[in-house]
Amino acid sequence: MSTVNDTGYFYCEIWAWLVGLLVAGTVIVFLPIPKLLALTLVFAVAAVKAGLVIRHYMHLKAEHVLIYLIALLPVLFIIIMAISLLPDIAFRH
Amino acid sequence: MEAEFTLGTPSLTPQGDAITRLPTGKVGIWIFLAGEIMIFGGLISCYILLRIANGGWAADAAHVNWQIGTLNTLVLLTSSLTMILALAAVRAGNRDGVKLYLASTVALGLLFLLVKAYEYLAHFREGFTPLTGTFWSFYYLMTGLHALHVTGGIVVNLVLLIMAIRGTLWARADRRMEYAGIYWHFVDVVWIFLFPLLYLSLKLT
Repeated sequence: MSTVNDTGYFYCEIWAWLVGLLVAGTVIVFLPIPKLLALTLVFAVAAVKAGLVIRHYMHLKAEHVLIYLIALLPVLFIIIMAISLLPDIAFRH
Repeated sequence: MEAEFTLGTPSLTPQGDAITRLPTGKVGIWIFLAGEIMIFGGLISCYILLRIANGGWAADAAHVNWQIGTLNTLVLLTSSLTMILALAAVRAGNRDGVKLYLASTVALGLLFLLVKAYEYLAHFREGFTPLTGTFWSFYYLMTGLHALHVTGGIVVNLVLLIMAIRGTLWARADRRMEYAGIYWHFVDVVWIFLFPLLYLSLKLT
């Protein structure tokens, strides 16, 4: 069993990063940059935010490998499903 | 090895505990979340693929209010902070802190739902219902399902808060708070992806 004893100050620091990234992710869509780049940056920022929550608030950084497997297996299934459906979208629409 | 067995949940078999040293409750909550990942992941994948196939639904997406979406994201991120602070308070033996942070999490969850209800009402007044088009079907389905999960989390946190006030929480407070927190943070993570997909996409289509 993992027991993480991070301090309240550390959790507030992570929250400050999350708020900063929220502002950054929102500002990106208004910047005069190519849409594809903006789209990539917006979802990269979202991925970093999710990563911070998962790693530090859900304490995945200190978890057993079994928990990683349980969490990542459905993500793998989703990716396979999306890739499987891509040709249908690309060639039929 | 005997000392390690005593750290696990009593209902675990010694064999299982010796292999993973994971409490059944923790494995259970993560298996539950794996199912949730399939539900939300499947929905999000279908949304992205259909949106690409249908040219982005820019006209429909223009009607969602990104300012309100940003505010609600801030509310949910802050509720995640108060939830983890409640767990930290449990581990520090700060019982008043646990009550304060749990109550704050419940209040922020309710605020999130209130803002969401305000948004729904505004959209309905404009004539955008789940039957208006594919974008709106996805919008109501994904945000509605997420709101149901927020409601579930509020109920769990409220039960924990009542237990804390009555003094019945403390026997296994650490694990109870940890599992409730894992669920609450997961709901937050789902919103972190729904926000750019539904609210910020206007400028990107």
